[in-house]
Amino acid sequence: MVTERKGAFGIGGAILFVLAGLGISLALYRFATGLGSVTNLNQGYPWGIWIGFDILAGIALAAGGFVVGGLMHMFGGEKYEPLVRPTILTAFLGYLLFIVALLVDLGRPWTIWHMIIMWHHESPMFEVGWCVMLYTTILLVEFLPVVFERFNMTGLYKVWKYSASWIAIALLTLFAIALTQSVPWVIAVAAVLILFQLSVEVGAIYRHPRMPTLLLMAGIIFSTLHQSSLGTLFLMVPHKLHAIWYSPLLPVFFFVSAVATGLAMAIFESILSARFFGRKVETDLLRSVGRFLSWAIICYLGLRGVDLIVRGVGSELLTRTPQCAAFWIEIVVGSLIPLAILLTPELVKSATWLFSASLMVIVGLIVNRVNVAVVGISSKYSVTYYPHWMEIAITVGIVSAGVLVFVFVCRHFPIFSEERSPKGAG
Amino acid sequence: MAVHALLIDTVRCTGCRGCQVACKQWNKRAAEKTEFFGGPGYQNPADLSKDTWCLVTYNEVRIGDRFEWVFGKKQCMHCLIPGCASACPVGALEKLDSGPVVYHKDKCIGCRYCMLACPFVVPRFEYDSWNPYITKCTMCYDRLQMGEIPACAKTCPTGSVTFGERDALIREAKERIASNPSEYHHHIYGLEEAGGTCVLHISNVPFEELGYITDVPKRPIAARTELAMKSIPAVMVGLAVVLGASYRLRTRAQLRGEDAERPSGTT
Repeated sequence: MVTERKGAFGIGGAILFVLAGLGISLALYRFATGLGSVTNLNQGYPWGIWIGFDILAGIALAAGGFVVGGLMHMFGGEKYEPLVRPTILTAFLGYLLFIVALLVDLGRPWTIWHMIIMWHHESPMFEVGWCVMLYTTILLVEFLPVVFERFNMTGLYKVWKYSASWIAIALLTLFAIALTQSVPWVIAVAAVLILFQLSVEVGAIYRHPRMPTLLLMAGIIFSTLHQSSLGTLFLMVPHKLHAIWYSPLLPVFFFVSAVATGLAMAIFESILSARFFGRKVETDLLRSVGRFLSWAIICYLGLRGVDLIVRGVGSELLTRTPQCAAFWIEIVVGSLIPLAILLTPELVKSATWLFSASLMVIVGLIVNRVNVAVVGISSKYSVTYYPHWMEIAITVGIVSAGVLVFVFVCRHFPIFSEERSPKGAG
Repeated sequence: MAVHALLIDTVRCTGCRGCQVACKQWNKRAAEKTEFFGGPGYQNPADLSKDTWCLVTYNEVRIGDRFEWVFGKKQCMHCLIPGCASACPVGALEKLDSGPVVYHKDKCIGCRYCMLACPFVVPRFEYDSWNPYITKCTMCYDRLQMGEIPACAKTCPTGSVTFGERDALIREAKERIASNPSEYHHHIYGLEEAGGTCVLHISNVPFEELGYITDVPKRPIAARTELAMKSIPAVMVGLAVVLGASYRLRTRAQLRGEDAERPSGTT
């Protein structure tokens, strides 16, 4: 169905189609022949660019869905509402793409459902898997009003409005059961959530007219756990991950940098899509998002600085190693320059500078995740790893397909504010 | 149940590779096409692989003023608290009370997290298969169930590989070192490495010389993620309370003044 729109995308669209097609073909080839035929992964480096870029960075880039569509909405109020739908869409598509990438990376992807019934709650990977499953479901539920609005399904919308909160409670409780297997904790989690929802039902807490609050809360809770659990994954490798990155605070760093990236993605996407679809850039709104972004960067820099000093790694940051260079790229490009831009009052007035700053935060995040997953890993096994061109081609193909779907959905569904019906049914 | 273990004594090893062959035969692993490679001379193959779970390594080591062959043994170390088993999301790797770390292949989803978590770089993945599994030494768990000892220990002609209760083997290792202190390097590899393992090594040369990974953390790998995993429910409850309370405070004006069903423009 997407191919019918080919003409409407122009030359850029045609290139994306070719890249997506190439990626899909190579992925099919990989399923027929095994991982060895398309990757340079080996016994010493079982994880490569797919984990670093597609999965670690991909999930952080999808963080806008909970940072803007969740945190800012919960704390900051209604004015951020124009950003909620685009960021939820990005997050939803991001997670779907992530699942595709995961299926390509897993050795036996047809057994992925094993995680649902074969519980091993001690494993960080188990937490990651459950967060993916349940948060993708939450994102789908958050996105449904767009579909209802598009096809005028008022009845279904009403059902959604009154059941979404209870679905969120059920999923959170299920997660607590799987990850704690402790009766007191499950009761504590369920009790707090049910108490909140009952207060909403009896009118003791304000019922938001459009978005069930508990649904957003579930998104925030799952995202917080998911972003940090990707950092937890690497707590398992004190013997392999370079001291610059290996810290007991890794889950916290992953979370804070994901928050910053979520904000950066919201700015990046708004400006890009405004240009692409010929809309007006919501500069004032984005500037206040930029203010939050600068705070997030300051927090991140502060935490990492203190951590490096306390662990006594400071002196290692001036050595001439590839790891050291990679670290400085991550910090200078991803944090210092964008922070300088955001704190310069003359610059933040311009959409171009805001755009550049957020793009740099995004690039810095990608470098950071690739550093943790690949660059910072040293294996005692006497081989090294550089991505095979087919690994990169498959990644590029997946991202291209994602961009095509995003543009398609933006064109055919009410995503951006001025395109929405004045009544604002969703 | 008593924890069982293997004791490897390189002093007694003649490099016959009987254990390597016995392992292959019992576990029905295919033969490998190998090549000569620089460095360790007659060692064959170069490393553990999906078909080689037990490998005798050849090391030419300078002892005093002459060079001597010292043979190491590479295989799964069967950690007391294994990182691989803790890492596995579906419980495909399992530590048995009796000692072995076994692999339930039907559960495995192929995520390869166990390979990353293993401090000894032991699990091998079948990269060339469309339906790949992880492979590694099982301490011949199937033989143990039948009351037999592992194939490598059974076949060793010089008593270099011994199977028994871990505590007894530690005593035995200490005795061998104490009774011949000039011959042995004074370290039992596996006593404390990664929190202790069920394969213990003693040698006449430092273990670096044999290419063993010697900077393995003493604290079990699995202990590193414990705090993060245990704080999950606290994070859930904490976030729910904070978010709920802040939402309640932020919307108290709407609650008082307005019809809840009408969208509000104020914050």
